Amino acid sequence: MIVPIGPIHPALKEPIRLKLQTEGERVVKAELEYGYVHRGIEKIMEGKTWQKAIYLSERVCGICSYEHTQTFAETIEQISDVDVPLRAQFLRVITNELDRIQSHLLGNSTFFKSMDHETLFMRVLEMREYAMDSIELLTGNRVNMGWNVVGGVRMDADERHFEPILKNLEIIENEFERTRALFAEGPALALRCKGIGVMTKKEAIKGRAVGPIGRASGIKEDYRVGHYTYDDHFDFKVIRRTEGDNYARTLTRFDEIPESISLIRQAIENIPEGEVRTPVDLKSGYAMRQNEAPRGEVTYMIETNGPLIKNISIRTPSIANMDSCAKYMIRDVPTVADAVATYATSDPCVACAERVAITNEAGKTTIKYLDEVI
Amino acid sequence: MLDAIKDVVRKSSIHVCIVNCGGCNGCDVECVALLSPRYDLEQFGIYVHNNPREADVLLLTGAVTEQWKDNLKRIYDKAPEPKIAVAVGNCPISGDVFAQEGGHVNAPASNFIPVAAEIPGCPPRPNEILEAILAVGPQAIADRGREQK
Ligand code: SF4
Repeated sequence: MIVPIGPIHPALKEPIRLKLQTEGERVVKAELEYGYVHRGIEKIMEGKTWQKAIYLSERVCGICSYEHTQTFAETIEQISDVDVPLRAQFLRVITNELDRIQSHLLGNSTFFKSMDHETLFMRVLEMREYAMDSIELLTGNRVNMGWNVVGGVRMDADERHFEPILKNLEIIENEFERTRALFAEGPALALRCKGIGVMTKKEAIKGRAVGPIGRASGIKEDYRVGHYTYDDHFDFKVIRRTEGDNYARTLTRFDEIPESISLIRQAIENIPEGEVRTPVDLKSGYAMRQNEAPRGEVTYMIETNGPLIKNISIRTPSIANMDSCAKYMIRDVPTVADAVATYATSDPCVACAERVAITNEAGKTTIKYLDEVI
Repeated sequence: MLDAIKDVVRKSSIHVCIVNCGGCNGCDVECVALLSPRYDLEQFGIYVHNNPREADVLLLTGAVTEQWKDNLKRIYDKAPEPKIAVAVGNCPISGDVFAQEGGHVNAPASNFIPVAAEIPGCPPRPNEILEAILAVGPQAIADRGREQK
């Protein structure tokens, strides 16, 4: 029997259609139907100046909006061959890691909600509010920050704000241990997610899973390793696990939070004085850049014609993660509730996933960029 | 008498369904942030469950993409009377940045269903969303209940 879920359903946060093929209670196969939030962002960006396009790139995805603007700015900087001032690079690291903390906490809280564990859901959301406060202190906005510009960041940070940000991080840290233990050592919860939705390393590579979802299956890619700021000035550990089940994915996201906190501390301690923005002489050309968004690698490929954008394509992590979730994770899962929880651990973000979808004559929908890029 | 009791009950128990008809998610995460203990939506008798069949208030986010053109009305019809729709963010009000050449959006949402309140912002802050639900929700629902008779 096929159980369709969505597009609007209590278990889903975003519009997507999940088709589960069941045999009795067991879910043997899953299929995803996209297309509900396709807005045509890349097409709108064509022929626009970067000032307009960066505003749009922030609205590819609202949860990890920050990393999109940073990657966009870095791509244009690479084309124009400019170096961003060090202070701006450090500020970018602080915002990026704050964004990662809030996104991971949101991802985990959604998972706990789908497991119907209200206590953890509430506690994790409460922790997230402190990260949101820090983001607001630094940038002035909660979600779409408008923080990056080509050549640096929009404004200098007020040094007085570093103190409360550090305090907020401390609050998150104090809560963190107990919350993590509640999940990791709580017998009922852990039993329900160990061994469910397993994706092996081979499958993760085949499904092109990235980010914490891929790293929970043993892949070691993290695009912060290799990024010029992180490589030269920061110390951090890439979190990896090998089980590849719901438990591992949730814990990978949890364990990345202390790393991010330590990165922010390093940045605030060592932040250099100086400019935060350089003038950029825009050149024509093509460049590609990859960065580690909270959900994994985001790629921007931009071709410019002087100050205008000629062609742009964006590859987001969610599309690969959701696809590998449907193909490899939801396969012989004990119940429909577990299948929905498994879907939630892949940290789906439908808004990022949908920019170009092509329907061929047989009515089969393929996502163009996934096939083209890889 | 019965009406009066119904009014009181309805006003203090509002069920909310978030309908994302093609936005960037920003507004949705702000709606989810409302559930956190900091804002604690449930102390106002508001309950978010994302089930249109039980909803009193539909929180619309997003700019009505192609797929939602027909579905939006369908979802609205599924919700039982009395019901109201609240547009959250610039997207359902004007289409925001997506309403330009090349974009595939059909904003405003009020072309498809009646919208009772609009909260501008990209995204609006959680307390603004809360304020709007509380401002229009209870009274509109009580009024609608009577019109039905
Ligand atoms: S109004 Fe802004 S934040 Fe809200 S969904 Fe639209 S683009 Fe995103």
